[in-house]
Amino acid sequence: MSASFQHLTLSQVQPGMVLSDELLDVHGKVLLPQGTVLTAEMLALMPRHGIEALPIALAAQSPAEAAEERSRQLERIGYLFRLHDPDNGEDWAANSLRRLVTDYRTGKEEAA
Amino acid sequence: MRDQLSYDDVVKNLQDLPSLPAVVMELLNSIEQEDIDIAVLAKKVSHDQALTAKTLRLANSSLYGLQVKVTTIQQAITYLGFQTTRNLITAAAVTGCFAEGACRGFDHKAFWRHSIATAACAKVLARHMRFNQDYAFTAGLLHDVGRLVLVSCFPERYADVIAYREAHDCTLLDAERTAMGIDHVDAGLALAEHWNFSDTMRLAIGGHHEPERPGAGFLATIIHVADAVVHALDLARQEDDLVPAVSTVAWQALALNEDTCLHLFRETELQFEEISMVLLS
Repeated sequence: MSASFQHLTLSQVQPGMVLSDELLDVHGKVLLPQGTVLTAEMLALMPRHGIEALPIALAAQSPAEAAEERSRQLERIGYLFRLHDPDNGEDWAANSLRRLVTDYRTGKEEAA
Repeated sequence: MRDQLSYDDVVKNLQDLPSLPAVVMELLNSIEQEDIDIAVLAKKVSHDQALTAKTLRLANSSLYGLQVKVTTIQQAITYLGFQTTRNLITAAAVTGCFAEGACRGFDHKAFWRHSIATAACAKVLARHMRFNQDYAFTAGLLHDVGRLVLVSCFPERYADVIAYREAHDCTLLDAERTAMGIDHVDAGLALAEHWNFSDTMRLAIGGHHEPERPGAGFLATIIHVADAVVHALDLARQEDDLVPAVSTVAWQALALNEDTCLHLFRETELQFEEISMVLLS
């Protein structure tokens, strides 16, 4: 889910952080599976594979935190789209974009 | 309200703008030339160390997935092709060309974050549409360059534009037209003329807010949608950002479904992080 990871540069990644996605090298081969707890040894090898940034899982959120994050995202999207009226049928292109970004930010099943 | 500015006022002031390194001008001017001597150009670029370093870092980023690390401009041309390398050199040169801090309230960093994100998004869209990805990247990067022209040539007037936008919470484009009389589209076209951009690039700069206008060209459609997506993804991280009008004609022309969009958003965010690390460091 897009809300639960962030891309960090190698210098920002600390041992003990968790990969949120599988890590591929430049040839598309899997270097490390999703969920790997990174060690200092692994991080030291990254430059050799040409890797400069990693997708890092954010700490698990409590349901309350998740709900708060979700409403923060929704509020921000609403603000960004403030010149567009969701009920205006003629503005359907902007409204499609709004729906897609909302799904992307907050997760599809919850937004449906 | 003060006097409205015209296209000619902008043209008169273009001479005062910073110039691009001579070799970059040469690259821009040679866009449709077949017979240029690449070895000579590569050598000229190599004399500018900062430019070379930035270009090589872009070439070695995961954007291009090269299996070897290129260490010279000549090598980059061999592996990436002349077109791509030229565009990378242009990107590296243009992002460092305009001075910061000339105009009160204008957020230079946010401007480039938006432009780089649009370039990344346009490149992904172009790949999806089987359109030239290098053109899309460069046009995305430069689509709003007219804004820098206005900010550099008329800093006080542009401060008025920013104040007007805040007071009316409209798009910056509308604020430019009302408070200044000229918008960043026309200023961009003036610069494109001055810097000898190719016709493809001029059309994209001129049409990115009106892609449905006849003759605007498909690249304008790609840039228009990329621009809207980047505003919607909040990538410029500008507090008062907003999503401008989205052309239904352009949106329909790209026929984006949910899966494509999910991929597009992810890919745009990833590439944006990486390119901005190189270009804004």
